[in-house]
Amino acid sequence: MEFVDGRFELREVQKLEGHTDRVWSLAWNPATGVAGIPSVFASCSGDKTVRIWEQSHPSTSWECKAVLEETHTRTVRSCAWSPSGKLLATSSFDATAAIWENVGGDFECVSTLEGHENEVKSISWNASGSFLATCGRDKTVWIWEVLPGNEFECVSVLQGHTQDVKMVKWHPTMDVLFSCSYDNSIKIWADECDGDDWVCVQTLDEPNKYIPWPCSLVLYLQFLLLCFICLVVLFYFNNFHELHVSSNDTTLLGIFASGHSSTVWALSFSSTGDKMVTCSDDLTLKIWGTDLARMQSGDGYAPWRHLSTIAGHHDRTIFSVHWSREGIIASGAADDAIRFFVEDNDTDGLVDGPKYKLLLKEEKAHDMDVNSVQWSPGEKRILASASDDGTVKIWELASLP
Amino acid sequence: MEDIFDTSLNLEETHLKEGFDDGYKDGLIAGKEEGRQVGLKLGFEAGEELGFYRGCVDVWKSVIRVDPTRFSDRVQKAIKQMSELIENYPVMNPEDESVQEIMDSLRLKFRGISASMGVKLDYNGYPKSFSGAKEIF
Repeated sequence: MEFVDGRFELREVQKLEGHTDRVWSLAWNPATGVAGIPSVFASCSGDKTVRIWEQSHPSTSWECKAVLEETHTRTVRSCAWSPSGKLLATSSFDATAAIWENVGGDFECVSTLEGHENEVKSISWNASGSFLATCGRDKTVWIWEVLPGNEFECVSVLQGHTQDVKMVKWHPTMDVLFSCSYDNSIKIWADECDGDDWVCVQTLDEPNKYIPWPCSLVLYLQFLLLCFICLVVLFYFNNFHELHVSSNDTTLLGIFASGHSSTVWALSFSSTGDKMVTCSDDLTLKIWGTDLARMQSGDGYAPWRHLSTIAGHHDRTIFSVHWSREGIIASGAADDAIRFFVEDNDTDGLVDGPKYKLLLKEEKAHDMDVNSVQWSPGEKRILASASDDGTVKIWELASLP
Repeated sequence: MEDIFDTSLNLEETHLKEGFDDGYKDGLIAGKEEGRQVGLKLGFEAGEELGFYRGCVDVWKSVIRVDPTRFSDRVQKAIKQMSELIENYPVMNPEDESVQEIMDSLRLKFRGISASMGVKLDYNGYPKSFSGAKEIF
């Protein structure tokens, strides 16, 4: 695409101050920024509040329109708008999640979701706005159904992760839930029989879990030869026949799992929904893909496979990643920088999977760790970033002539 | 002649064996007692938790009988599932592999039902999942 040859720069549009503690996360209201409706986004902070920011006109500055306070008693860790843009969900270290509704310019807390034992780290709406998911330090993932009258009912409490779950995100088109954790894995959850029976259908975790190491060299070589033959046979079968992937298990050919080797902090889907990018404390971004057509046709579960690893560009933990509609991957890291990656069409991507290259690196984007980066839903390439330095910055990725 | 010197020569070995046998006998008794204590404690904890769930389920079932519309279908289904799990818990066979699985399922179901009802129920000593070191991210 046009990214490969173009030159870009990241222009700081505005620096938004107001929060009195680190800003953890932000979320753009999906129903704004288009068709003349002013752009709106929410930011949440360690100061226990959520701030709503609005840009009344594309050329004017951003202003704080509302401060949602006096509800959460501890840090607000993450926020998410419902697909209709009418409700805002927030999750907090006080072990609750709150639902806010915009009532004539004022945001009112219309519901509270309790159940987690401790800090709720993330919250996410599904594509139709009928489900909410939360996850937390108690290692569980909760699925809630949205009922009329702002009522919420717990559908399922999912255990599976062995450590703090950092983020949950619903797939952009299907009711399949993804979670990533301090236990280095990504889990995929689906409703098996459409009857509230949510289970873990796949786990994407560390590589080399299934390769045993025999002692003697001769045995080892014989073993490798045997493995190679088996792999060839299995690979053949994998490509030309259906393999049953049992639920609650890793990919059948575990040695191809190629997962992260440290905490997975965030994940983001491509606009097509058949790829996702994950970021980790292991300093890499990983691209995963699936056969979406097969999934959507109801032909059984199509497993996600590791496609590519973007390594060598980060030297500190990557806390946030977001894939834009056009295919630009933005990352925010502990080294205060924001980086952009695009698919590299120069190299032959069909052999080992797609390759990605660094488009731009903005060092010192903030004075401290960048906790969240989010592309705006509007037309222009606008990005918002949140940091430990207590500020939110609006950027524009502009192409140079 | 050799017999008299035999016992003197093997004195250390004999004493070692005697000491070991004594210690073993004492250990058997002490171990059994400790095992009994541990069994009693674990059995009590499991019984207390199971009994607690049984009590909650019994009350909820009564509510459903009195007013079938009080709880949603989903909650009613979960209560039924909990009831089945309690029935299936192998009370007389603690070595059965499914005990941990059933208890875990019961805990999750209970948390989900409590959250849906909007109530906080527990008792002194209710097991909370081990949180480990406090993490602030």
